[in-house]
Amino acid sequence: MRSQAGVNASGDTVHCKALNTAILDLNLADDHALLISPDRALYVADLPALAVAGEVVAGKAIALCLTQPYALITALLACDGHAHTMLLLAPDLPPATVVSLAEQAGIDLIISDRSDIEGAVSWPLKGEGRALAADTDTRWLLTTSGTTGMPKMVEHARASVTRGVRASDAARGARWAMFYDPTRFAGTQVLAQALLSGGTLLVPDANMSVTDAVAWLVEQGCTHASATPSLWRRILMAPAAGGLSLKQITLGGEIADGAILMALAARYPQTRITHIYASTETGVGFSVQDGKPGFPASWLEQPAGDIRIAVRDEMLWLRPPGGIAPRASHAEQDDEGYICTRDLVQRDGERVLFLGRDDASLNVGGVKVQVEAVEQVVHDHPDVAQCCITARPSPIMGNLLTLSVVPRDPATDSVALKREIKVWCKERLPRPAQPATIKIVAEIAMSASGKLERKA
Amino acid sequence: MNEMSPTGFMSVDQPVILTPDALRARIIALFNEMWREDREDEPVELKDDTILLETGFDSMAFAVLVARLDDELGYDPFTMTEDPVYPQTFLEFIEFYTKCAPKPE
Repeated sequence: MRSQAGVNASGDTVHCKALNTAILDLNLADDHALLISPDRALYVADLPALAVAGEVVAGKAIALCLTQPYALITALLACDGHAHTMLLLAPDLPPATVVSLAEQAGIDLIISDRSDIEGAVSWPLKGEGRALAADTDTRWLLTTSGTTGMPKMVEHARASVTRGVRASDAARGARWAMFYDPTRFAGTQVLAQALLSGGTLLVPDANMSVTDAVAWLVEQGCTHASATPSLWRRILMAPAAGGLSLKQITLGGEIADGAILMALAARYPQTRITHIYASTETGVGFSVQDGKPGFPASWLEQPAGDIRIAVRDEMLWLRPPGGIAPRASHAEQDDEGYICTRDLVQRDGERVLFLGRDDASLNVGGVKVQVEAVEQVVHDHPDVAQCCITARPSPIMGNLLTLSVVPRDPATDSVALKREIKVWCKERLPRPAQPATIKIVAEIAMSASGKLERKA
Repeated sequence: MNEMSPTGFMSVDQPVILTPDALRARIIALFNEMWREDREDEPVELKDDTILLETGFDSMAFAVLVARLDDELGYDPFTMTEDPVYPQTFLEFIEFYTKCAPKPE
């Protein structure tokens, strides 16, 4: 497989070169920092030495499973353009899962700093001092968290990872926070954007708390940050968050509701706030820049980009540019090329609002309740910092909703707050959607991809 | 998810063992508490022959009562039996909870 220049649907040339080559093509100063972590940094001048390490993996199918995101990104920069295939694995996968995924993908070499993965070689690799041209069109294999435990592998051409990169003079010098796991699609998007537009990626250590990471990012002069709405709620709770001087905030991966968008706008009045809708089913998405939840209903008649949008029976349908075949084989597609996203939406005046996944609903006494819609109502309560709905099996109703709430003020009177939230829900939600039990908790678990974990 | 303060909801790891009278008193107290959360008028008096669904509580409210009792007592008799049980009177409800209560070792 050789690299070739690609052109995306809107006619722009897309990055198809290996990441390291594409970065060198930007002609940045040798002392420009590409990656900064609390104890290490990688500069443009270090790239040729990394290419030497890449020689060891030339033509091979490799898996990368490294506990520190900084190490993972460094390894990725070294191997992209040399390896035939690069499987990126989350740092916390059980050893048996790592081995099983590697077998499925036909991996020749697992590179890991973990001691529990048999046969893995450690990073950094030792090359013999020859630097080969990074001209292989490396196949990227990413994983998505499967609902049944075993992650699913999704193949991406490098072009699809780098497609969203917007390079401009303004983007040069941007200092991007790496909140996502770099082995996830969202993580690869952030690292590609930061590195291919002449910016710097600020990479907190894996073991840092959100509070410590935010304090460190303030010190490092972070200007751009992308995270899930769940993670943004947690970031806003960090004492140092007020010190972030951000030019760009991006939200993705979950529904950005009005409460979090307003909270961010109030805290960062000078910052551009964008939320991204992406659909696994269609492999495409769009971004909304006006700081309001959902998207303008006018887009249904006059699309803002090259994707056409339709709403049928409260379900969002998208037609990718050129009407390409759906990414997921089970996706439903009509004669006009529209693909069903399985995301529910609701027209509210001039906006179309997201309600959640079609399958993220619970049956409460025969009524379908959309859990994300309930969470949005609770997030609107001024004393709620974070919340999460879980199902509680009920022999009488099938399911009941349990609501867990992290209060904005940890010293809050939890009995009074529970009572208030109960009334709040009663005034705003139909009976089956009102949580049966409310718990006040100190924190709510998030998955490696920064999304709420709705397991009971 | 960890409970934050002992002031609010209490979660139990071990089932709570109550005498039948104490159990009855606990159920009545919780019923009254839930009643007052939802309604202005005084709760109905629960007697042995009171028909549960004529109390003003619907099946949703009873489902919530059962869930809250599970939180307090550490067991849910409705999930412990193979045969579906539908207690109709308050006495049947109490007896069902008493029958399924964990026995002291």
